[in-house]
Amino acid sequence: MLRIMPSSVDSDSAADRLRRIEAVTDTTLAHLDAAQLLNELLVRVRDLLAADTATVLLLDRSGQQLIASAASGIEEEVRQGVRIAVGEGFAGHIAATRQPLMIQQVGPTTVVNPLLWEKGITSLAGVPLLAGGELIGVLHIGTLAPRPFTEQDVQLLQVVGDRLALATHSRLSRAERAAASALQRNLLPTRLPHVPGLELSARYAPGEAGGVGGDWYDVFTLPSGWLCVAMGDVVGRGLPAATVMSRLRTTVRSYALDSADPGEVLSKVDQHVRHFEPQTMSTIAYAMWEPSLDRMHLSLAGHLAPVLIVPGEPASVLDVPVDPPVGVGSTPVRRRVATIDVPAGSTVLFYTDGLVERRHRTLDDGLRLLRESARAGSTELLCSTVMSRLVGADPTDDDIAVLAVRRQDTGELGAITLVFPAVPEVLADIRATLRRWLPSVGTSPDDIADLLVVIGEAGSNVIEHAYGPAGGELTVALRSHGRDVFATISDSGRWRPPRGTHRGRGTQLMEQLTDELRVEHGPDGTTVHIRRRLTGGE
Amino acid sequence: MTSANVEVLALDEHTVEIAITGEVDLSNSETVQDELFAAIANHLATVRLDLAGLTYIDSAGLRILFELADRLRLLQTQCEISAPPGSASRRIIELSGLDSLVRLRP
Repeated sequence: MLRIMPSSVDSDSAADRLRRIEAVTDTTLAHLDAAQLLNELLVRVRDLLAADTATVLLLDRSGQQLIASAASGIEEEVRQGVRIAVGEGFAGHIAATRQPLMIQQVGPTTVVNPLLWEKGITSLAGVPLLAGGELIGVLHIGTLAPRPFTEQDVQLLQVVGDRLALATHSRLSRAERAAASALQRNLLPTRLPHVPGLELSARYAPGEAGGVGGDWYDVFTLPSGWLCVAMGDVVGRGLPAATVMSRLRTTVRSYALDSADPGEVLSKVDQHVRHFEPQTMSTIAYAMWEPSLDRMHLSLAGHLAPVLIVPGEPASVLDVPVDPPVGVGSTPVRRRVATIDVPAGSTVLFYTDGLVERRHRTLDDGLRLLRESARAGSTELLCSTVMSRLVGADPTDDDIAVLAVRRQDTGELGAITLVFPAVPEVLADIRATLRRWLPSVGTSPDDIADLLVVIGEAGSNVIEHAYGPAGGELTVALRSHGRDVFATISDSGRWRPPRGTHRGRGTQLMEQLTDELRVEHGPDGTTVHIRRRLTGGE
Repeated sequence: MTSANVEVLALDEHTVEIAITGEVDLSNSETVQDELFAAIANHLATVRLDLAGLTYIDSAGLRILFELADRLRLLQTQCEISAPPGSASRRIIELSGLDSLVRLRP
C-alpha cells in the first residue's frame, strides 16, 4: 500500500500534488469492492491530509437526512447510526448548499453532532458528494489540533469525494436493481395455487427500459371458497415501484378477506393508497369467482378489460365499466362491479397495457391482435401464443404481465384426488373444493349439503384421531359413476378410540346421509369409503 | 454447538412423561420438536413435560411448546409442563403467555 508521510501536507509543489492525487486514484483501488473502497479511501484521505477522522454520510431516500455510512478514526458515528438533517449543522449545511465548507473552531453552534465535539475535534473540512449532478452525501475530515485547511486541502478532498460518489452511486443503483428484481420475483407467484376445476397460467416479462416495472398479479382463495384474481400496474419503475407493489398486494389481500364485493375492496384499497401512499397511482383489475366458478364479479380501476374466450365463439374484450385507477383524485368514487357468466371450458385472460401498447401500433390494433390470437383450450398454450404474437422479438419499453384463468370442462373433472395436511384449517378448503366439484357431476343442492357433512365428518375424524402431534396427511378422492358419487377419505396413521363429548354423533350422521359407508382400518392407515346415490333430477 | 436431550421418563397406557434437558435454540429446535412429537402417541390422555433440567430456551424453543399445546388441545390430550419457579424455562413460559394454554406446575 502506498504510504504518504503526513509531512507532505506542508508541501504544495506540483509533483507532490500529483502524487497525492495518485494516492486516491491509484489502480489497485479498482480491485476493491465498493465497501472496501470506501474504507480504504477514508484511511488514505486521513493520511494525506493528516486528519484524525474521516466520515462519509449518505443522503437517505427521503432526501432529508444524512446517515453516517463509513468512518475512519470515529467509527462510533456509523455504529450509533448518526443522522443529520439536511440544512442543519456542518454536514447538513454542505448538503444544502452543495458547497465545500471549513470550520476552524468546532462548537455546539456550528456542529450538531455531539460525537464530534466529545471526541475533541476542533477543525473540520467537508465537501459534497455529487454523482451525475445529484447529491448523494457528504465527506468530511476533522483534526484534534486547530488547523486552518487550505484551498489545496479542500481541492484534494473534493477529488476523493468525486471518486467516492461515483463508486457509491454505482453500488447503490446496482443494489437497488437487485433488490427490485428480488422483490418482484418473490411477489409474483411462480407457482399459481392449485384450484380444482381451474387451469391457471401466467407470464411476466420485464421491460427493456431498465429494471423491473410495477406490473403485478396475484391469485388466492378465501376461506369462504371464493377465488380472487388481481392484476395491477403501479406507475413507476425500479425499487420504489416494486415496494409499493408489494404493499398494494398485501392491501388487496387484506380487504379481500373482509368483503365479497370487488367494488368495495377496490374502494378500500383506493382509500388506503390515497392516505398511506399519497404519491402512488395504480391500475387494478380485481375479480372474484363464486365457489361454483359459474360467475365472476369484476371491478376495474383504470385497468384494461380482460378478454373472455368461450369455446366455439370469437374471443371478446369484456364490455364492462371502468372506474378511475386507485390513488387519484381527492374524493372516493363509487366503484362498479360487472357480473360475468363464465361457461365451463371458457378462459378469462388478464393482461397489463405493456402487452397491447406499442409505439408503432394503436391500442385498438393491439387489442384486435390480442382477440385474434386468443384461443380456448390450454392456458399454457394461450399465454405462449399471446406473448409470441403480440411481443415476438420486439424490445418492449414497458413490462408485461399476462394471466389466464380457464374453467375446466365437466368432462375433465371426472375424478379428483386432493392431499392436505391433517389440520383443522383444511376443512374449509375441502368444503370449497366440494362446492366446486359436486355441481359439475349433476348433484342437487340437497346432495351437496349432505355430502359436505359426510366428507367433513370423515375429514374431522382423520384430523382428530389419526395422528399424534407430529401430524400427517389427509387424502380426499372423489369420482362419479352413473348416478353415484364415490368418495374416499384416507390417512396413514392409526386411529385411537373415540374421545370427547361429541363422539359417536358424527358416525351416526354419516350413516344417515350415505347409501354406503365402510371404514377400513389397516396397519398403514385408515380409509373411509362413501357412496351416495344422487337425488338431483329424479 | 447447542445440545438438548429428549428422554421419555415414564410411559403407561394413558400418560407419558418426557424430560427435555440441555439448551434449545434455533440451531436445534427442529430436532427437538421432531424427537418430542415422535415420543407422543395419539392414544395418550396426558402428556407431562419436565423442563426442570432445561438450562436455556428462547423463542425458537417456545414455538415448539406453543405448537405442542395447540396440537394436544386439538387431540383433547391434557398437557402439563413442569418448570420449577426460578428455573430458566419458568420465567420465559410466564412471559410468553404459554401458561394460559397449558397446566404449569408446580
